[in-house]
Amino acid sequence: MMAQTISADQADTTILAHVNVPPAQTWNYLRINDLSLEVPTPYFAGDVHARLPRLFERVECGIGADAVTWMCRAAGDARYVEVRADDERAEPLYVDVDASSAEVRDTGVLVRAGARATIVTCAHGGGGDTSASLLRVIAERDARVTIVEIVACEGTQQHLDAVGISAAEGARVEMRQYALGGSKVALGLCCDLAGASSRLELDARYLVGGTDVLDVNHVVRQRGRATRADIVTTGILADAARKTMRETIDLVHGAKHAEGSEIETVLVTGDDVVNKTLPVILCDEEDVAGSHGASIGAISPEQLAFLGARGLDESAAERLFARALFDDAAIHAPVDEARAAVLARAATVLGADVARDVGEVLGFDQRGA
Amino acid sequence: MSHQLLTISGLSAGTEDKPILHGIDLTIGAGETHVLMGPNGAGKSTLGHVIMGDPAYHVTDGTIALAGEDITDKGPDKRSLAGIFLSYQAPVEVPGVPLYSFLRTICQMRPELKTTARTFRRRVGEIAERLDIDQGFLTRELNVGFSGGERKKIEMLQLLLLRPRLAILDETDSGLDVDALSVVSRGIETYRAECDGALLMITHNTRILERLTVDRTHVMVHGRMVADGPAELIDDIDAHGFSHFEDALAQKAEAQQ
Repeated sequence: MMAQTISADQADTTILAHVNVPPAQTWNYLRINDLSLEVPTPYFAGDVHARLPRLFERVECGIGADAVTWMCRAAGDARYVEVRADDERAEPLYVDVDASSAEVRDTGVLVRAGARATIVTCAHGGGGDTSASLLRVIAERDARVTIVEIVACEGTQQHLDAVGISAAEGARVEMRQYALGGSKVALGLCCDLAGASSRLELDARYLVGGTDVLDVNHVVRQRGRATRADIVTTGILADAARKTMRETIDLVHGAKHAEGSEIETVLVTGDDVVNKTLPVILCDEEDVAGSHGASIGAISPEQLAFLGARGLDESAAERLFARALFDDAAIHAPVDEARAAVLARAATVLGADVARDVGEVLGFDQRGA
Repeated sequence: MSHQLLTISGLSAGTEDKPILHGIDLTIGAGETHVLMGPNGAGKSTLGHVIMGDPAYHVTDGTIALAGEDITDKGPDKRSLAGIFLSYQAPVEVPGVPLYSFLRTICQMRPELKTTARTFRRRVGEIAERLDIDQGFLTRELNVGFSGGERKKIEMLQLLLLRPRLAILDETDSGLDVDALSVVSRGIETYRAECDGALLMITHNTRILERLTVDRTHVMVHGRMVADGPAELIDDIDAHGFSHFEDALAQKAEAQQ
C-alpha cells in the first residue's frame, strides 16, 4: 500500500491548534499546554482508501484528536496487520516514512492474545515539508509488543509521530523512542494500560540542536489493577534547541496497586537552549505509587570525574554522550533500513567519519546497514 | 633498578574543608608492583584519587611527577592520557552510554591505541572472553544495573584495553565473590604480564596479592605514610593488624606536642 503524498505546491495549509495537549493543563503563560502546527491541507486524488477497523478509533494517541484526524486524512490509506494468537512474528513489522516525499503513514496493528511482535517506525530524510506517522497498537491479553520509534529527519523537515497503545490484561509493551532530527518534531504517545498487570516500559531519547524544536507528550493511563509504567527519558539539548516534554501518569480510579514512574535526564550543552518539562502524576486511587525525578543541566561531577579518569574532558564527554545516543539507536534498530537512517543522521550530526565508525564498531559493516 | 615512574614528594591534600593527606612521599618504579595498606579511613583511596587528579580533592602542598614530568596541576583527562589509570572502588553509572561507545571513545583518544573498528572489535572480544564477560554487556549502558562483580570486571576490561603505564587499583577486590575475585586476579596478572605497567594496589585483602610479586609495601595511617618495606610486611600486617602503626603514630604526635 502506498501512502498519500502531499506536495507543497498542491497544498493549502491548515493550522492544527491543539497538538500534544496534556491531560492536565497548567498556566497558559508558560506556553507548554499545547503546540500549533501549520500543515498542508490533505489533498485527495479520488482514490478508494483503505481504513483501519473501527476498533482503532478508540485508541488514544497523545498527539490529539485533530492531529490524528489530519494524519488519517493525509495518509489517505492505511495498513492493518494482525498477529495471530500465540504467534511469534519473527520479522519486525516495519513502517518506513520517507520524509523527503512528505509521506504520511497510518498503521494499525492488532496483536492477538499471547502473541509477540516487534514494530519499527522510522522517519528519515528531509526537504519534504511535513511528514507523519500514526501507529495504533492493540495488545490483547498476555501479548508482548516491542516498539522502536525513530525520527531521524533532516534539515527543515516538520514531522508528526503519534503512537497509541491499548494493553489488555497481562500485556507487556517495551518501547524505545528516538528523536534524532527534524526542524519541528511533535511526538505524541498514549498508552492505555487497561488490563490488570499490563505493563509499559518506555525508554525515550532525544538529541536536539541548532534551532530545532522537539515537542513531546507522553501519557500513560493506568486503569487496570497492578499495572506498571516505567518511563525513562534521556536527552541532549545543544545550541539554541527548544524542547517541551509533557509526561503524565494517570492513575485512574480502580487501578489498585498500580505503580508508575517517570525519570528525565537532560544534558544541556547549548547556551541558548529552551527546555520545558511538565511532569504530572494524576491520582484518583489510594493504593497506588507514582514518582517523578528529573536531572537537568551538565554532566554530574561524579560522572565527569570518572570520564576524566578515562581521558575525557568535559567537551569530549559531551561528544561521547551524543555519539552514544546514535550508537544506542543503531543497536536497538532491528531493521537494516532503520539502522541506515540512524547512521545517515549520525553523519549529519557527528560527521561522516564518526558515523562510519559507529556502524563499523557495532559490526553493521559486515551485516549491512 | 627500574627508572622512577611516579614520584610523590611532600604531598598534602584534602577536600575543601578537610585536610586528609599529610606530607606523603612515595616513589614507584616502572613495572613495579606496590601495595598500599592501612585501616579504614587512613586516606588510601584519597591518595589514589589525588594521583588521578580527581577535582573533588585539592593539593595544598607537594608535587606529583610522572616519568619526571610534574603533573600536579594537570586535570584527570591529561593524567589518564599520560598513562595513569585508576580503577574505581565503586565505578560510576553512566546512563545513556553503551559500553561499546565508551570503550571505543577512550581508545580513540589515545594515538597509540587508535585502530580500525574491526581490530578494536576483535581486541575487545578477546579481552571480554578472557574476563568471562558476556558480549551482551558491550551494548548495555555503562555500569547501569551491573552487579559489583560485573562492574569490577568492566574496570579490568578497561585496564587491559588502555594498557596504562601506572594502574592504581582501589580495593578492586572488595565485595567480590570467589569466582569474580579469580577473574579480577587473572586480569591483574594479565596486565602485569602483557603491559609491563606499574601497579599500586590499594587493598585490605591479602588473598588478591597471592599471585603477584610485590616489590614494595606501604602503610598509611591517618593520612600519613608510617611504614614501608618489602613484601614480607604484608604478612606482618596479616598477623598483627595496624594497631602498632597507629600506636606509634600517636606516640610520635604526643612527643611532638
